[in-house]
Amino acid sequence: MRGVIKGVLAEELENSLRMKREYEEALKRLLQGCLAKRKIRGHEYFYLVKRVDNKVKYIYKGKVSEEEIKKYGEAKVMRAKYRKLLSQVKKQIRFLRGSLRGKEAV
Amino acid sequence: MEKRQSELCLEILRRFNKSGILKDFILIGSWCVYFYKDYFSNVPYIDQATIKTRDIDFLINNPSGIREEVNVPLLLKDLGFVTTFKGARGYLKLDHPDLLLEFLVPEKGKGTDKPVHLPRLGMNAVALRFLSFLSANTIKVRVEDFYVTLPHPANFALHKLIIFQRRLKQDKAVKDRNIAIEILKSLIDKGESSIIKQVFNSIPKKWQGRIIKGLQTAKEPEILKILQ
Repeated sequence: MRGVIKGVLAEELENSLRMKREYEEALKRLLQGCLAKRKIRGHEYFYLVKRVDNKVKYIYKGKVSEEEIKKYGEAKVMRAKYRKLLSQVKKQIRFLRGSLRGKEAV
Repeated sequence: MEKRQSELCLEILRRFNKSGILKDFILIGSWCVYFYKDYFSNVPYIDQATIKTRDIDFLINNPSGIREEVNVPLLLKDLGFVTTFKGARGYLKLDHPDLLLEFLVPEKGKGTDKPVHLPRLGMNAVALRFLSFLSANTIKVRVEDFYVTLPHPANFALHKLIIFQRRLKQDKAVKDRNIAIEILKSLIDKGESSIIKQVFNSIPKKWQGRIIKGLQTAKEPEILKILQ
């Protein structure tokens, strides 16, 4: 039988690994890129800034509805949040793997 | 992580309270031990006596009695919770690096391995046996300006003594048994042995047998003496 603490750590590692997959998937599901506003000859136009094959591309979108601007704004906030939490999960995984590596019963 | 975890737990409770659904939930699982600290304020009690995992479970005793329409996954989305569906049957779980939320309902009749849909809350819950024992006798603890419902510590501990013997993972079984014994000892210190006995007498003989067997395995003559 594993020690109680080791058992809990193993379960937590399993949870963190699942969570890592979930955050990666959640990030993929979010709207990709950000809207960038440009003022040309007194008129406002939008460009979608996103990475395509490791290169930052500016894709012309023209005039964009308020609703779409809001959606991209929300996606930006969520992306930052998910990235931060994903980094936290990765740290947990490293810590838990390290803790479980020892052979002694905990 | 401890402070961050407790703060997140409080924020969840605040949101549930604000949206009017906290009254429909009973907080169960190892987080109860943390919230029992006020109940045991006059006796030596260590709220960290048990290993508190990230799992936080809410029991919904009467799912059909929920009046408010609140989409729980959406309510917690901006905190960074992601919705996952566990197992082949698709039990909903809300995951966050600091806390993992799960919702449970008492199993009724023959039971089912399918999740119970809770359309008003925009989620589903797992039906498990013996949970009605936890909701049969509850206490309310004050948290900030609201109250959280918890199973009475006697019910919580005796429930753990029943289920630890059904655990497939031995280490989890030991954890459950240890929590139960710690709580029962604190109740004895508080002078509530009669409540333990009263709760014990209120349950079916079969369950009583399991509890006795559990205590015999754990070699706890002091508690056994109270029950017998």
